[in-house]
Amino acid sequence: MTEGEPLIRWDWIASHLDEFAFRLGEHVELTVIAVSVGFIIAFGLSLLILRAPRTEAPITWVTGTLYTIPSLALFALLIPYTGLTVLTAEIGLVSYTLLILLRNIVRGIRGVPAEVREAAVGMGYSPREILWRIELPLALAVIIAGVRLATISTIGLVTVTSLIGQGGFGFLILIGIQRFFTTELIVGAVLSVALAIVADALLVLLQRRLTPWTRAT
Amino acid sequence: MTLLGDVARWFADPAHYQGSDAVQTRLLEHAAVSGLAVLTGLLVALPIGLYLGHTGRFGFIAVNVANIGRAIPSLAAIALAIPIAGTLLGVQNGLGFWPTFLALIPLAIPPILTNAYVAVRGVDRDVIEAGRGMGLGEAAVLRVIELPLALPLILAGIRTAAVNVVATATLGALVAFGGLGRYIVDGLALQEYDRLFAGALLVALLAIAVEVAFGTFERAAVSPGIRVQQGAL
Amino acid sequence: MTSTRGATLEFRDVSKRYGGQLAVDQLSFKVPAGRICILVGPSGSGKTTSLKMVNRLIEPTAGSILIDGRDVLREEPTALRRRIGYVIQQVGLFPHQTIAENVGTVPRLLGWPKARIAARTEQLLALVGLEPSRFAGRYPAQLSGGERQRVGVARALAAEPPVMLMDEPFGAVDPIVRDRLQNEFLRIQRDQGTTVLFVTHDIDEAIKLGDRVAVMRGGKLVQYAPPGELLAHPVNAFVAEFVGSDRGLKRLALLTVGGMDLDTNVARAAVSPNAPILSPASTLREALIRMLASEAQVGVVLDGQRYLGLLTLSKIGKMIRSDA
Repeated sequence: MTEGEPLIRWDWIASHLDEFAFRLGEHVELTVIAVSVGFIIAFGLSLLILRAPRTEAPITWVTGTLYTIPSLALFALLIPYTGLTVLTAEIGLVSYTLLILLRNIVRGIRGVPAEVREAAVGMGYSPREILWRIELPLALAVIIAGVRLATISTIGLVTVTSLIGQGGFGFLILIGIQRFFTTELIVGAVLSVALAIVADALLVLLQRRLTPWTRAT
Repeated sequence: MTLLGDVARWFADPAHYQGSDAVQTRLLEHAAVSGLAVLTGLLVALPIGLYLGHTGRFGFIAVNVANIGRAIPSLAAIALAIPIAGTLLGVQNGLGFWPTFLALIPLAIPPILTNAYVAVRGVDRDVIEAGRGMGLGEAAVLRVIELPLALPLILAGIRTAAVNVVATATLGALVAFGGLGRYIVDGLALQEYDRLFAGALLVALLAIAVEVAFGTFERAAVSPGIRVQQGAL
Repeated sequence: MTSTRGATLEFRDVSKRYGGQLAVDQLSFKVPAGRICILVGPSGSGKTTSLKMVNRLIEPTAGSILIDGRDVLREEPTALRRRIGYVIQQVGLFPHQTIAENVGTVPRLLGWPKARIAARTEQLLALVGLEPSRFAGRYPAQLSGGERQRVGVARALAAEPPVMLMDEPFGAVDPIVRDRLQNEFLRIQRDQGTTVLFVTHDIDEAIKLGDRVAVMRGGKLVQYAPPGELLAHPVNAFVAEFVGSDRGLKRLALLTVGGMDLDTNVARAAVSPNAPILSPASTLREALIRMLASEAQVGVVLDGQRYLGLLTLSKIGKMIRSDA
């Protein structure tokens, strides 16, 4: 920060809109890949937990430990092996989504009332049909709540990947810090928060579309 | 295998335990700024959370503070703290300890406040009514009933805050603060992977140690009556 | 056993208004010291609101409530509540405290010395039928519903309150346990002499436990009478319907053989040997059941060995008819 310079230089912002659009694309791409891959893995692990409850403790322990390791440290531990690449960033980002997604998928499915499940069994649904037609639709609200949490936290963590050469809006923040240029730093932070809010709102809309019965009252 | 050998040699090198860049110094810096930030956050958030939970007022705000807190990326919090610390404390304080400390406090507040609110609000209304009916005053209701019953969740909130803060304190190295993040940032800049890896290992172990220590403390601090209750459910 | 003396409890023109809604409308009645008064009525009749105004969990809009002549509104609420026992359906035991700690709550608040609290706790657990050595150190979650409710009663009695408030205390336990708890409650109440205000929606419970029954509807007191009188002379169609079309039979449960006008003209030897032997203490309901079962149509009433006379079905029939 230099004395006498305004906190925000609007002319700089106006002349860099192209770069913001590029960083937005990068940020969204990193986020979407991380949450999608994370969801697929978490879904598989959830089915495993539901089928074999004994696996719950070790799976929760591993994903919980991954979740506890600070993001920068996790990236740093991977760098010697996978370098300053998208792969390093995604391995880290995916690791962080697992616990959140897994917890919500399992909780959502376990939260399906026993009498509903019993009625389905009584009407002759097969276990597979119960999962896809009864349990998953009813668990959807809780599952999407998990996706929202995972998405918001991933959008925040993507900024940290700027330190390993990726980063979307995080890139603006990092350059801002390194150059003591508050305008760029604030723009990066604000855009990242804005993206999180927009993504969250979109997921809320999606949830309302998919689970109309939760609005019955 | 060579990397792990390098890392082991890095840890064995006495030079890394001397001077301002010594492991124990960095660890202490990291722990100190984290501890102070969690403590400050606790002093701010706990009374507010308990009060809101006890009275049941402003629940919407209490719950949403957590979501807002989650939406602010840790890197952005650190970055924004530079101009804030510079403005509040003078430009010479815009780097180092102060921006790191200031950035960590708002990360500590949301989980503590929200958990305290939810925990106190969640105490069985019948138990509270029985307490009031027996002549417990408002302060006694909070102290004798709500606090002990809310304790597990309150402690879990403090644990979440502490783990988040320890993790984010790593980024303090970007704004010229010390701490264990120093090794990672410098290791990246200098492409010294042994230093990078050692730093990352130390940070990861510290975070896990905080998590485990709090978890152990929580189990010890919870009334056996509540443990029995949870086991019975 | 310490015997507390109950206090008199009086409602004087007590009203409670929520917005434009009158939840309790000019309620007035007196409960003599040491008696059980049951507030009964359909949901929304204002019975629980009335109960909670006594310990000021709800503040009356108008009127006064007097305990031994002293207006509860003039007292500091927490001090007042420590002198009033309070039992609710959900019990509300503190889950993080042992049974002994739960029972000792009010004595601790009152600053009793430790030894006295311990002695009182032990005494109370024994009183409610829970072996102190087995239960004192347990936690509420380790008890059955019936046991928890006993602890609730013990906790309410801890500081020897002159008045006890009970809000559907036996509503959540199964019928067999409820019956046993009711009987024990009656024994304990006679023993302690506490004045009890008791809310229920179950008319049978009201008749079984009450010295007086206050029937409420829409916030108003409809009838206030001893149970026998309530069954014999309901003041209007609402009370008649509320106590049930079988109120004649219910009333038989409150009357004893000894209170009947017996037929003394028949010699004992002339009575069929199949006729059941009845004691003066048995209720008319029991007598009726045994007489019907025996086909003898009459019962022999013996006080010990002494023959008092015959009880006939027509005499019982007359009792039922006299109600209607």
